[in-house]
Amino acid sequence: MMLLLLLLPAAIMFVASFFLHPMARRLLPLSSFAILIPIVELFRLPKPYPLWGHALIADDLNTYILLVSSIVGIGVTLALMTLDKHVNVTPKAIRSFYRFFALFWIGLTVSILANHMGIFWIGLEMATLSTVYMIKTSRQPAARKEAWNYMIVGAIAISLVLFGIILIYASAKPVLGEDAMYFDALRLHARSIPSPYLFEMGFAIATMGMFVKMGFFPMNLWLANIERAAFYPIAALFSGILESAVIAGFFRFSRIAEVINRSHLLGYVFVYALVTIFIVAFLIYRAKDFVRLFSLSGVEHMALIALFWVSGGTFAALLHFGAHAFLKPALFLSTGVLESRGRYHISGALRGYGGVRGTLFYYLVTLFLLAIISLPPSPMFFSEIYGFGAMIDMAEQSHHLLAMIGAILLLLILLSVIFYRFVSLYQSMKYEGEVEPKRVYASEVAALSLFALGLVALLLPASMTFLRSIG
Amino acid sequence: MTDFLIGLFLATLITALFTTRLYRLLLWYSLNSLTLGILAIELGSRLDDRGMILSGTITLIVKAVGIPFFLKRLSQHLGLVRQITPNIRIQYAIILIPAILVFTFYLAEPISHMVEGNANYVAVSISSLFLALLLMMEHRNIAPKIIGFLSMENALFLLGTTATGGMPMLVELGIFFDLLMAIVVINLLLRNEEVTS
Repeated sequence: MMLLLLLLPAAIMFVASFFLHPMARRLLPLSSFAILIPIVELFRLPKPYPLWGHALIADDLNTYILLVSSIVGIGVTLALMTLDKHVNVTPKAIRSFYRFFALFWIGLTVSILANHMGIFWIGLEMATLSTVYMIKTSRQPAARKEAWNYMIVGAIAISLVLFGIILIYASAKPVLGEDAMYFDALRLHARSIPSPYLFEMGFAIATMGMFVKMGFFPMNLWLANIERAAFYPIAALFSGILESAVIAGFFRFSRIAEVINRSHLLGYVFVYALVTIFIVAFLIYRAKDFVRLFSLSGVEHMALIALFWVSGGTFAALLHFGAHAFLKPALFLSTGVLESRGRYHISGALRGYGGVRGTLFYYLVTLFLLAIISLPPSPMFFSEIYGFGAMIDMAEQSHHLLAMIGAILLLLILLSVIFYRFVSLYQSMKYEGEVEPKRVYASEVAALSLFALGLVALLLPASMTFLRSIG
Repeated sequence: MTDFLIGLFLATLITALFTTRLYRLLLWYSLNSLTLGILAIELGSRLDDRGMILSGTITLIVKAVGIPFFLKRLSQHLGLVRQITPNIRIQYAIILIPAILVFTFYLAEPISHMVEGNANYVAVSISSLFLALLLMMEHRNIAPKIIGFLSMENALFLLGTTATGGMPMLVELGIFFDLLMAIVVINLLLRNEEVTS
């Protein structure tokens, strides 16, 4: 029953998409809000709560991830109401968009709640395939090309994940039988896995697939190019929901890998994430449009989350994850308005907003831009402080303090490059260019306000206590 | 029998890499799926695994018959280009493909004592995965890329069957469901695509 309630808003959207009257689109955000009812109930229920046998369960970690991604889903349905005001899109294409958005949402909800590696993969694959057509709803030649690119690279990434899952399953099947598919059983019996090498090989391949899907090295630009070519809400869905499901999978896989051989896990993730951030920092420095800039910044944040998580900074990783999941979709959705003069008109993009809605939009975008570069009191400021603290703590225990200080110094240098770029961008948006009146719609302000509220909620003592309790 | 079928599976995939005609490529994909389906049924009968027999039967119906037939009809309907010349020349491909095979057997060597059954099967599965990737990369046209994607799925199915003695039924069915959804998405994409691709 609870599972049905969780999938109901997406199912309503799917059915409504077949005969979507323009006026009916206003009702979809309301039906999307209904997802919050079962999620709030899940927070109250004892954990782990079985949703579909043992294959789909709700624990503290995935309930939190589900809440964050659902808020993003609601925000995107709000912003979608005025999609046709900013881009050239036919009513038929909008209906198709909603249809595949619903499938995407169902796939990722299942994926986030999965305690079963196979179901996790099936949900992710379903979301990947539905995204292909969402990208294609834009009739631009670039979107057509990128839809095929996404189909191919996405298929490779997802195949790597399945490849890894098969090897992990093969490694544990002799002791666990078919239970070797369950994350919790694997974690519980990780020490008795007869062939840890096979497990680690599977983990490395599956992680590589998940990292490719998030735009890590060596596929740093593919996601940015796709998000640039597609309609802007797709980028918001990628950063807020898709990446949430992928990182949730990484959290679960890495928890098992940690028990098998922690030093291998640390070495692999640190090298991968540091190389990724190194490349991405310079790509951000050279980015000339909002979407690419935000997309690359998303890759940097996901790499930081992975680093904090494997370093034992669970609280820092989850706080950073929540903040990123609210900030990035908010920024992507605001590009619909910010780019009203064209893609490469950054200067003056924050000027010309009049009236209550315009002023509110101006302040919200300013808040998001300054929060994404971790200026206090952004949750990202605290998460980075705690995350670096966790890295130092871990290094002290493992007698690699000097190497860790070197890694942190490198990270700080790279983050300062990104910081510089964002500050320069903000100044250009605010002080340069001409003042031209721009129009902001109520649904867009509502979506951004929802994300701002989510961001503030993360800073509440109760939220912090809850995040600390997730082990 | 298993060795013969796995050899045939690899052979059909290698032949597909040299094919320059679309319908012939569909035929090789169909044969590739046919050997996979028979292999799953044969292994399932030997292990007395009904789930694997069912997966093999679905593979025969969906992948060996349904998908090639559907893709052929679609390509006729949309008038897709049937001449599909690989970007990699044959003389280079002849060197590259054995190199991939040798490399994957070398890669699978450390895990040879860790998997149930014959470790060479795992090596063949991994090499099939790389060859399917090569099929996707060596063509500019969309249709062979789709076949490459589907062949990659076949390679993963082979890995799941040989390395683990069969994946759980739920996962197999989910993968089939996703495959069907992939076909729906490919259909939608192709219908809006320039027919000159």
